[in-house]
Amino acid sequence: MDDQSLIRKAQGGDANSFAELLDLHYDTIYRFAWKWCGHKANAEDIAQLACIKLASSLKQFRFQSAFTSWLYRLVISCAQDWQRSQARHDHDEMPAVEHAGEFSPAEDRIYLTQLLERLSELGEGMKETALLVHAEGMSHAEAGVVLGVSESTISWRLHTIRKHMSKSEARTSGSL
Amino acid sequence: MKPKSYETLLKETAPPAPDGQARVLAKRAALAEFARVNADEVAPEKIETGFFQGLLGALRLSRDHKSHGSDVMGWNARSKMFAGAASVCLAVVGFAVVWPMIRDGNSTRLLEKEPTGLLVPEPVRSETGEAAATASPTQPIETPVSNAQAKIEEQKAASRVDIKVPERDSLAADRKKEDEELVPSQVVQLGRDEVSRQVSQKDASIVDSITAQDIAKLPDSSASEALQRLPPGSVNGASSPAPTAAQPSEGDDQLQEVITTGRRADRRAVSPHKGVGAPKVNSGGSVAGLFYSPVANEPAPALPPPEGRDKFEHFDSNAVKQVADDPVSTFSADVDTSSYSFIRKQLNAGVLPQKDAVRAEEMINYFDYSWPAAESRERPFRPTVVVSDSPWGKGRKLVHIGIKGYELDARQRPDANLVMLLDVSGSMSSPDKLPLVKESMRLMVNGLKPTDTVAIVVYAGAAGTVLPPTRVGEKEKILAALDSLQSGGSTAGAEGIELAYQLAERSFRKEGVNRILLCTDGDFNVGIDNTNELKGFVERKREKGIFLSVLGFGQGNYRDELAQALAQNGNGVAAYIDTLSEAQKVLVQEAGSSLFTIAKDVKLQVEFNPSTVAEYRLVGYETRALKREDFNNDAVDAGDVGSGHSVTAIYEITPVGAEARMVEPNRYSKKSEKPAVATSNAGEYGFLKIRYKLPESSKSQLIEQPIRIGADNHAGAIARDVQFSTAVAGFAQLLRGGQYTGTLSFDDVIKQGLAARGDDPFGYRNEFVQLVRRAQSARGM
Repeated sequence: MDDQSLIRKAQGGDANSFAELLDLHYDTIYRFAWKWCGHKANAEDIAQLACIKLASSLKQFRFQSAFTSWLYRLVISCAQDWQRSQARHDHDEMPAVEHAGEFSPAEDRIYLTQLLERLSELGEGMKETALLVHAEGMSHAEAGVVLGVSESTISWRLHTIRKHMSKSEARTSGSL
Repeated sequence: MKPKSYETLLKETAPPAPDGQARVLAKRAALAEFARVNADEVAPEKIETGFFQGLLGALRLSRDHKSHGSDVMGWNARSKMFAGAASVCLAVVGFAVVWPMIRDGNSTRLLEKEPTGLLVPEPVRSETGEAAATASPTQPIETPVSNAQAKIEEQKAASRVDIKVPERDSLAADRKKEDEELVPSQVVQLGRDEVSRQVSQKDASIVDSITAQDIAKLPDSSASEALQRLPPGSVNGASSPAPTAAQPSEGDDQLQEVITTGRRADRRAVSPHKGVGAPKVNSGGSVAGLFYSPVANEPAPALPPPEGRDKFEHFDSNAVKQVADDPVSTFSADVDTSSYSFIRKQLNAGVLPQKDAVRAEEMINYFDYSWPAAESRERPFRPTVVVSDSPWGKGRKLVHIGIKGYELDARQRPDANLVMLLDVSGSMSSPDKLPLVKESMRLMVNGLKPTDTVAIVVYAGAAGTVLPPTRVGEKEKILAALDSLQSGGSTAGAEGIELAYQLAERSFRKEGVNRILLCTDGDFNVGIDNTNELKGFVERKREKGIFLSVLGFGQGNYRDELAQALAQNGNGVAAYIDTLSEAQKVLVQEAGSSLFTIAKDVKLQVEFNPSTVAEYRLVGYETRALKREDFNNDAVDAGDVGSGHSVTAIYEITPVGAEARMVEPNRYSKKSEKPAVATSNAGEYGFLKIRYKLPESSKSQLIEQPIRIGADNHAGAIARDVQFSTAVAGFAQLLRGGQYTGTLSFDDVIKQGLAARGDDPFGYRNEFVQLVRRAQSARGM
């Protein structure tokens, strides 16, 4: 069954279809959440939040955009809510960097965590923009739909990010 | 190993596989929620609206005010009936979802008045005895909402409460203990009750925001409503009977505290969707689609002015150069002053500015000096060169090069065709932004000639012409248009800048000055998002004779580097306006220089004489450095000088033979070797060349003047101004870290500044001394 009919059935209250939909998309949700925060347990939390939210808000999806765009939007919202709740707990310490799994070398994950932090510092929406375009391979226009900004805003953000990154890269390599 | 590029890192860093159990739990929780939501569809009809008040009371109930529980007992009994209709699992999980919200939500409810967009950020508070700080959701107050909405709210609230029924009955017992007992094993495994709490708080707001037509409205506007939040007092006052009334004992103080902490929490969150996250209890997926409460689209909350996000181009201070290696120094004139006013703003707030914000030349050029003006428009500069002892380097000298642009008198001023391009996005609403812009523009209009024209273009969510080109003779019309401006809405891609240029072209004055004044708080989302594209656009329009000046306002998000770049590309000034008196200075007293260019592409080049000067260092102008060969290349753009502008550059030099050399001479270079030129010009430290183009010309002209060794016996006003600019240069270098200023202290700067104040009719120099004092105390902290 394709996404669309699954969604329609789930919207009609069919729990089986909804379960199937979850199965289909849990990995996407989790993967994006992980790249967003760079931490497994946190990503699972976010993914769970997103699944619950998906349950409560699926009816609001009206097929006006691609389901995945809508889903990314939802995951980003959840991730941001989650982050707010973390901030509220005054957890300033960094999550411990996880042990190297079979997927990527540990240092890459450390770099990624640092990178995510720097991206967040660049301003609102910067991290999300970079993730959608670079990690998820979306076009600027698609990312624009997800984030609710114009395509050119996405381009501008990426340009800004690139500029900052090349600047800080230059600075690090200069100091070595 | 070279670290991977950030794109690769983002793309290729693979997440660890999700935990199978986490996946199962997530699915289970989602299915339970799904079942709950679908059960809600049926449930609401059973509830009588008469119980609505009691419901709210129940929601609002705190541990300390259980008496309200009796109000809802009857309803509770009824609601059990349809609670039972849902599966056991559903009820239990649903409880787990709602319970934390109830538990946390009671004691600190905040009010939210929907249509005005008043949103209070999520509060933070710690509950004693609990390790984790728990947060309470805000409580919307329905007063002004339509009946339909109220009804829906009831239904939603009702459907929510039915799930928590089993839990409410057990309230009498020790809640904590009950909690543990009641929470089903799967939820215990979750161990993340905030996860579920999050959902229950926010699903409606999220849901509302996600539909496609809303998407466009969300993100960028987060800051825009920030300042429209009512102060805590009015929050309280505007409220209806709700939460605080239920807790008289906690009253204002509590509310105040919550709001304060809420801000803190909000500041931490770096998300563009503040509004989405603003928690609301009026959730309930099924309903949100039926209507759109204004709040759902309202961006929300209260992002306090962001701090420390002002962007400055990084640069390193000019280094000491050896004349033997590099005798020629070339740079572009810079008449901007924004660095000084930005620093003033920071220091007045008790903060030392970031180093990159300190540009010595802009601080020096902020002040007016009595360098003699040129006599004719055709030869608009007469350089003044003064050599004095360096106050911070024994044995070293300071070479002042002062030029003052020819001053057009009012009769000679060409007509001006000005287009104000004003940012009126929501972020401009603080008093140091749009209101200051309006006042500043009003001042400027009052100083213009009746034959000048002014047009106003605004940009925010959309660009629009507020006022077509209008003669200043009809001043009332212009002032009325200015008055009508209001900030609001988000800054979205707009055609602002193109529209402004169109208007300027429409009323183009061939003989006059055509200029766009961009007033902004740093958000340059004026329709062309790509910075380089924007610069190119401005540059092309410059060729057509329309110039651009940038007036910066506000703080927190100020993008100085872009303002500078745009103004430089647009042959304009970049000024930073922090107060009305600064507006007065830039737009009225110096209107001539800000608006009427007398020379463009002004470049300075100094060649030092190796037989008399061992080392030199240019103070400031780091961002204006040019290559030696650029000096004679008319295609290379440089700074512009307006009517009456003064430009001052200071070199610190070490004469040959002085003890104070910073760099040791080379051991192996021949000491006897001296360039032939040097012998014939032994009385000169160097040679100054200035290149400029007249405003309407594209071919540069040259002014030359030697820097004579005996040029240090000036007296009177010039000597005093030299001393004052030296003090400013010393201050700027101290703020940048005092790399080359030896033992110079703020006290020394204050002394020099005080001694050289002179008449100081506008008080700028006095203010400078005050600023140094502030810097002194800011550093002490």
